[in-house]
Amino acid sequence: MSRQRPFTAALAALGALVALVFLLFPLYAVIVGSFENNNQLLGTHYNFLPPTPSFANYSAVISTQGGHIVSTLIIGLFTALLVLVIALPAAHALARYRFRVTAMLVGGLLIAQILPAIVIANSLFLIYHKLHLLNTYPGLILADASYGVPFSILVLRAFMLGLPNDVLQAARVDGASEWKTFVRIVLPMSRSAVITIAVFAFLNGWGDFIFALTLLSGSSFEPITLSIYSYIGEFTSNIGEALALCVIGILPAAMLLIAAQRYIAAGLTVGSVKG
Amino acid sequence: MANTAVPARRAPTRRSSRPGRAVTEVSRASAWTRWARMVFLVPAVLYVVFAFLIPIVYNLILSFEQTSPATISSLFAPWAGIANYKGALVQAVTQSAIIRTFTFTFLSLLFQFVIGFGLALLFNLRFPLRRVARSLIIIPWLLPLLITGFIFKFLFQTEAGAVNQILADVHLVSHPIGFLTTPGWAYLTVLIANIWIGIPFFTVLLYSALQDVPLELKEAAMLDGANAWHRLFRVTLPVIRPVIEVVFVLGFVFTIKVFDVVIGLTQGGPANSTQLLAPWAYNLSFQQFDYGQGAALNTILLLIALLAAPVYIWLNRESLRRA
Repeated sequence: MSRQRPFTAALAALGALVALVFLLFPLYAVIVGSFENNNQLLGTHYNFLPPTPSFANYSAVISTQGGHIVSTLIIGLFTALLVLVIALPAAHALARYRFRVTAMLVGGLLIAQILPAIVIANSLFLIYHKLHLLNTYPGLILADASYGVPFSILVLRAFMLGLPNDVLQAARVDGASEWKTFVRIVLPMSRSAVITIAVFAFLNGWGDFIFALTLLSGSSFEPITLSIYSYIGEFTSNIGEALALCVIGILPAAMLLIAAQRYIAAGLTVGSVKG
Repeated sequence: MANTAVPARRAPTRRSSRPGRAVTEVSRASAWTRWARMVFLVPAVLYVVFAFLIPIVYNLILSFEQTSPATISSLFAPWAGIANYKGALVQAVTQSAIIRTFTFTFLSLLFQFVIGFGLALLFNLRFPLRRVARSLIIIPWLLPLLITGFIFKFLFQTEAGAVNQILADVHLVSHPIGFLTTPGWAYLTVLIANIWIGIPFFTVLLYSALQDVPLELKEAAMLDGANAWHRLFRVTLPVIRPVIEVVFVLGFVFTIKVFDVVIGLTQGGPANSTQLLAPWAYNLSFQQFDYGQGAALNTILLLIALLAAPVYIWLNRESLRRA
């Protein structure tokens, strides 16, 4: 590696630049578009920069969609919370103790991870109809957690298997209960893995469309994915507002990538993350 | 990683004929402790039953029932045998959706791998700002999928779309292409959007695999006079093969159930030319209100996804062995 020539480095940098231009152009175009008005957006020439930049689309979207943005935030945060509450103790037990059913449970989680969400959504719609969970936050959040629960338990368990055993033994010798060992020792030591799964569970809830589409209809609240879906029907009339809402929808992912890059790269590397 | 249990396995055990630290722990634990430990698993087990087991079983039952909007309120509907499967499969749209799902998955994975591997090799070289570039490239993977679909719809519109306008500006086309209004182009556009989403996943995983290829191996090959091409095929690829397998299995699982992107871009049209299994199953259930046929198609989708299960479990055998 140290023998690499400057020429190679320049060529590689150029290649990376070209790749990034192609890969990030869609995002660039949406951001530029969100600052244009409808006439400019529907014109016949492409503007690489907004001719008359304005925040009009954003102020319009905040006033009409502000409530939906808050709803989406609530859904994302509670999805993350629910995933943590379910996954943390389970991962701890599966890593630390040996049960007769451990292999079966881990195998079951691996299979749960590959089940298509649309299959679950179809059934949940009919089940929720009977349980009166349609159009409710708890119903939607319970469904959204399905993206993250199997992945989170598997990732956390793998991480916890790597924790030094002697520290946990010492706690046990000191007479700490199972619960205390878990809360005082295992949780703090697993901090980075916990952040990784929380970030992904939040993004799963924030970006979910399948469950919102099937489990909400005419409800008092809706996530922004549903709002964007309804913009598709009237595509040309409010395109600027729709683009501003898209940018807002992209924001958490971008911000989390900057703030928690290492955790996101770790989550990606460990395995499958998407619903 | 797996070394916590290995030394204990080798050490001579006097009392128990079965080796391993964990086993002795079980035998030492009192009945009370064992129950206390089980409590940790209760929320997860309940959740898996609620969110996975019951819906899957219920879907299977539904697929054999004669459903209608009137049967929504009752838990079960009259038995229909395999009528739903027949009804769904005789439709030309279903048949083409099944075939299209496979070609779509194959082409997606092919291009995601080629582009992702190329980028991984690129990032494996040293150049200025490569860290920044590497993290920027992750963004497409993190976006809400429906938003990605919408963004591509915006870019690929006929008259006002950026792609057509830029192609016209550089005189590559004289008339705007109907990317979303002509069947062949629409399929290609959905495919491009889906490839775009998956590139980061392939790049990041393959890049981290390349990082683990021992430098001495490459140097030894270089001393033996192997050229770059040989080193790639004889050294690098064989070493990272396990990761390639995982990436393809997971890529298959992600792609087979593509839904949001299709809905955001084309909703399966024009003339069902971009209809894939998941959106078509949704269409049957929620737009034609034929929950039985929708469930039948979902069962087929489920079986296709489960094709990956044995391979996926085998690739994760290490984590099962530690159970």
